[in-house]
Amino acid sequence: MARKVYDAIVVGTGAGGGTAMKILCEAGLQVCAINSGPRTNPATDYRRHRQVYDLKYRGYGDPLRLKGKAHQEPYSVEESEYSEGRDLFEHDVAYSNAPGTDWYWKRCKATGGKANFWGRSSARFGDIDFKAADLDGLGENWPVDYAEIAPWFSKAERYMGVASTIQNRPSNPDGEYLPPIPWRCLDYIIQKGAEQIGVPYLPDRCAQLTVDHNSHLACHYCGNCSRGCDVGSFFSPTWFTIPEAEATNNLVLLTNALVRQVLVDEAGMAKGVAYVDRTTRREVEVYAKVVVLAASCVETSHIMLNSKSRHWPTGIANSSGQIGRNLCDHLYGTSGYGYLPHLLGQPATPDNIADSTVGWMPRWQNLKNAHEEKFIRGYSVYIGGGCGDFPWYYRQIEGFGSAYKRDIKRYYPTPISALIQAPSLPSPTNYVDIDSEKEDIFGIPQLRFHFQWGQNELLMWEHSKQMMIDLFKAMGGEMWGADDEPNRPGTSLHEVGVCRFGNDPKTSVTNKWAQTHDVANLYICDASIFPTSTDKTTTMPIVAFAMRTCNHMLDNFKKGVHERA
Amino acid sequence: MAGQGMERREILRYIGIAAVAGTFPGFSKWVFACPGDHPQVTTSQSPSGVYKPLFFSPEHYQMLDHIAEMIIPEDSTPGARQAGVAEFIDFMVANRVPVSTSRDVRSMEDAMEAGNELQNRFIAGLDWINARCHSEFGHAFMECTPPQQTSLMQELAYKAKFKPTTESGRAFFQLMRDYTVVGYYTTKIGLESLGYPGLRTVWPKMPGCSHPDDPEHAHLLARTRTS
Repeated sequence: MARKVYDAIVVGTGAGGGTAMKILCEAGLQVCAINSGPRTNPATDYRRHRQVYDLKYRGYGDPLRLKGKAHQEPYSVEESEYSEGRDLFEHDVAYSNAPGTDWYWKRCKATGGKANFWGRSSARFGDIDFKAADLDGLGENWPVDYAEIAPWFSKAERYMGVASTIQNRPSNPDGEYLPPIPWRCLDYIIQKGAEQIGVPYLPDRCAQLTVDHNSHLACHYCGNCSRGCDVGSFFSPTWFTIPEAEATNNLVLLTNALVRQVLVDEAGMAKGVAYVDRTTRREVEVYAKVVVLAASCVETSHIMLNSKSRHWPTGIANSSGQIGRNLCDHLYGTSGYGYLPHLLGQPATPDNIADSTVGWMPRWQNLKNAHEEKFIRGYSVYIGGGCGDFPWYYRQIEGFGSAYKRDIKRYYPTPISALIQAPSLPSPTNYVDIDSEKEDIFGIPQLRFHFQWGQNELLMWEHSKQMMIDLFKAMGGEMWGADDEPNRPGTSLHEVGVCRFGNDPKTSVTNKWAQTHDVANLYICDASIFPTSTDKTTTMPIVAFAMRTCNHMLDNFKKGVHERA
Repeated sequence: MAGQGMERREILRYIGIAAVAGTFPGFSKWVFACPGDHPQVTTSQSPSGVYKPLFFSPEHYQMLDHIAEMIIPEDSTPGARQAGVAEFIDFMVANRVPVSTSRDVRSMEDAMEAGNELQNRFIAGLDWINARCHSEFGHAFMECTPPQQTSLMQELAYKAKFKPTTESGRAFFQLMRDYTVVGYYTTKIGLESLGYPGLRTVWPKMPGCSHPDDPEHAHLLARTRTS
């Protein structure tokens, strides 16, 4: 029997991989998509309007549920009791942290990946991000500029549906938006305070459907977003790209298939991938004319570093030695929390039950001059609060009895909390490599993290804490406190950089189209190509860049650079 | 758009189904039986309908129930007892579920250790309360008068009333209050008492701020400051 050869293999079905397979399938290519874990099923895996009292452990989960697993650390936030008993998150494959590193690698292996549960903030990057190196002299520019990328941001926004307003700030470029989410009392109060201290507080760019969009229903504000949307009222591969790719009949989707390496032909070009079937533990090979990696940033670099051959002794397409380098992340942490006395005793409103990023403070530092502050570049701040699903402020109130109970109710609409989103700078000491001492349970050499926060991002952290003190004062709020330390690296899920793109094959892994310099039929469609982190999130840009990369790849098919199978 | 496969009315029907999809009937209708020394605790319905504690002795359980009701009493809304808070605490402590610790859990050994520590803290705390009551009032906690019980709790709860040598009692009060508050506000009763908007799962739109004439909300601030 002749062996099956696909036009393209797409590894990963999240924001990037899902977009790639949709575009390639719709263009008529025969695509094999390979997903590490099982199929996501909204009917069994999402919250679906269940309440916390429907759960046996009231949302805390069975503390011993990961007994016997290779990686037993629970994943905060994303992994919840609502999906307990389902095998959505990666606990079978372990990873290593080098001494002094405390990376928190939270992996969703089910189809759609972390984009089932993402935070929905969707700002465009601007030239202040792409050309940061020109402005402050550190590192390298991106190989693209805003004018070149803007149409792709538009395509991504039109497809996903993003709610916001026009704001005329070049550092935070405007896009094509659905009507914004209405502002709550707390947004107006914060905005007025921010104005007094000269800081912007504006509607975020939020990928939540405020009106019906394409065939997707408008949001019904149940507040379950972070546990998966039961009807697809925000962009996720599960509700958008995967069903669209499948509808073409050009897709074969393999699940529970953990890719270990890219296979190469006699010339060192990609000819397919080898994966471990998690159910049988057998290794299987799949072949294609083009391979797209979108395994979620560091996992993409893991696969490439493990793809060693005669041609590629240090990993496929690694002649630059840059695979795994330049790991950047968002420093997260609570820069301040407290309450707004204005709202004491006000009636409860459904304004923020989903904790959507209704408003934010987009970067305001170092805009006029790259060196206004003690740090370079800049951070943003999200402020959430209002009537939530639990009165987490209960510890701030003293006492017990009826008076205590009354106070808990009285404070219910008032609490707010500020989250910093600060980019780490690329550093030669922040990278991933292969831990040659350790193999996972499938016999695959483990990935190892080397990462520490640098001085620049820690200065931003201190700066943001002072800004929140000033803000609380200006808006008439009362502060309860702030985190002493930022969160562990990895918490934000916004890691970038380990396969950075660039024009020079000596210093970058891929060209500006995310096609590897060394292997013309190997492309990358995730955040690993982004050379630096910004004050903005990564999901919408991942979708936009994946669209652009696939468009380029399809041109290459037309031009004969790649042959059809 | 291709491939969506779900009509609007189908989706709306789906919302209707999902809204009643909860399967766990809640603590007050269940008792939990502890099968041997296995750390996992499973659920089973008691034929008699009387709650038999899984972890705490009957005496300690009675104290838990009493203190929880002191922390969140029944007034214009139901209290801790009606929300089944003592059952909740017994179940959570028996199953080693931390609700308030900042302790880092990286492995199942960590989780076991944290759970054992939690169990010990509860037992030691309840014993401390009894010992304190004996030395102050000459009786165990449950035999003290309500004013005696209240006065002890106040010494543990309010900074202004703290006394030296009661550090362990204060730490226990914090732990007990953590479990009581979590146990209460994760029930329908507790969430209803807050007006938690998520109990309604379909909203036509977000209403937004209703004070367009006063974005600073100064009129509300003035009111809270004078009240």
